[in-house]
Amino acid sequence: MCYAIFAIFTNFTGGHTMNFSFEIIIDYLPYFGKGALLTIGLSIAGILLGTILGLFIGLGKMIRNKWLAFPFECYITFFRGTPLLVQILLVHFGVVPMFLGTTNGIVAGVIALTLNASAYIAEIFRAGIQSLDRGQMEAARSLGMSHVQAMRYIIIPQAFKRMIPPLGNEFVILIKDSSLLSVVATPELMHWGRMMMGQHAKVWEPYLTAAFIYLVLTLSLTLLLNHLEKRLKTE
Amino acid sequence: MKKLSVFSILLVFLLLAACGTSDTSGKDGGKEGEEQDKKTLKVMTDAAYAPFEFMEGDKIVGFEIDVIQAVAEEAGYELDIKHTGWDPIFVELNKGSYDMAISSISITEERKKEYLFTIPFFLSTNKIMIPEDSDIQTAEDLKGKVVAVQASTTGHFAVEKVLGEKHPDIKAFENNNLAILELDSGGADAVVADNGVIEYYAAQNPNKKLKVVGDSDTFDAEFYGMMFPKGSDDLKADFDQAIEAIIENGTYTEIYQEWFGAEPDLEALKAEQEASK
Repeated sequence: MCYAIFAIFTNFTGGHTMNFSFEIIIDYLPYFGKGALLTIGLSIAGILLGTILGLFIGLGKMIRNKWLAFPFECYITFFRGTPLLVQILLVHFGVVPMFLGTTNGIVAGVIALTLNASAYIAEIFRAGIQSLDRGQMEAARSLGMSHVQAMRYIIIPQAFKRMIPPLGNEFVILIKDSSLLSVVATPELMHWGRMMMGQHAKVWEPYLTAAFIYLVLTLSLTLLLNHLEKRLKTE
Repeated sequence: MKKLSVFSILLVFLLLAACGTSDTSGKDGGKEGEEQDKKTLKVMTDAAYAPFEFMEGDKIVGFEIDVIQAVAEEAGYELDIKHTGWDPIFVELNKGSYDMAISSISITEERKKEYLFTIPFFLSTNKIMIPEDSDIQTAEDLKGKVVAVQASTTGHFAVEKVLGEKHPDIKAFENNNLAILELDSGGADAVVADNGVIEYYAAQNPNKKLKVVGDSDTFDAEFYGMMFPKGSDDLKADFDQAIEAIIENGTYTEIYQEWFGAEPDLEALKAEQEASK
């Protein structure tokens, strides 16, 4: 089946004889490997930090006092409302040098991915928490729990189960979005794909290989999340 | 009833879209038939390389743009210049969607294997741009420093010769402006690119306190050529003739003085043109 698709590709690049060169892919495999590791590292950092930050921002947005909740809303509006590419350029060329005195592609990557993801994850948390029946909170309070205790022991554990599908979505998106870091020369997977294209002036080999590796990463994550969902099933 | 109306609206949109595309392709065919005396060539360029080619608002301007327009007028062609970026030039030119490329492309043996070049029309050398207080004086001093370049340029290849292939201290960006931005933000100690570009940048931005040093041992003299897909021998012949013509009649010198404020080294250029024939 893969051979059939491959045969269709080679025929459709009409006129120009296309030799799909596996040699240059094998040449570049060590670099793709290093790049993939960095992509995984950046994505995990973005996911973990983004989730923690997202939880607090989500809770912050739900504060009943409108004035206190306002800055959290602004944060979410900005990071959801502007393209990640723009955020990456701002963070890499503006924010990081301001604090470090120099640029750093990896620090910029972690910061940009965390800030962006936390805005989406904040909304996911809010959706999960608000989807629970009010009765849960009322029952917890009537048992003498404070608001914080109710959230920690009753609300958030239940909300978490509902948040796994949309969180999984966001994590998969994060892995793919990390490819934008190639614009600021962070040596992750996509960057090496571009370098390979620049060096050999070939299109299919580098980009198909990069796409395939991203697919492997996102599929693995999806399988992991499916497993997690099954384990948390209570019905 | 509601589903039927939604479906029919979608169908109408699809038909309009299909009609739209077939109309424009029809118009193009007609136009080409009319303009048989002045053929329009589609030109690729990476318009992020001042002063050779760069964007001013939505217009592409620059030294090379003026040169190619003078040459095309001499040779009897019209031009449709598009900013496509640098990497796409080496991927798309042989595929047939464009007729030629002009983008500070140095004539190299590697590139001559895949493409056809005109005779050289500009002499350039890669140089190093560093902050005024830097102690870098030669290419060897770049060892141990972080160098920003534009990916897959001769500057990139030259730095790889000094630091090593795919060395982690080489930051290769999609265009030269990002490389310069990296130097500005402190993420690189030097930028290596064509002398025309970095000397222009350093002169235009005196507040950034940058200087340019050369190293003729490491960075060879390079010559720019206009690039065609293999098989465009007729176009090459026409353009070669036209390039020689504008050098003879002084148009080239005029354009050179306008952009660089200096006389071109026509002797060296003509010698290289003879050598390449």
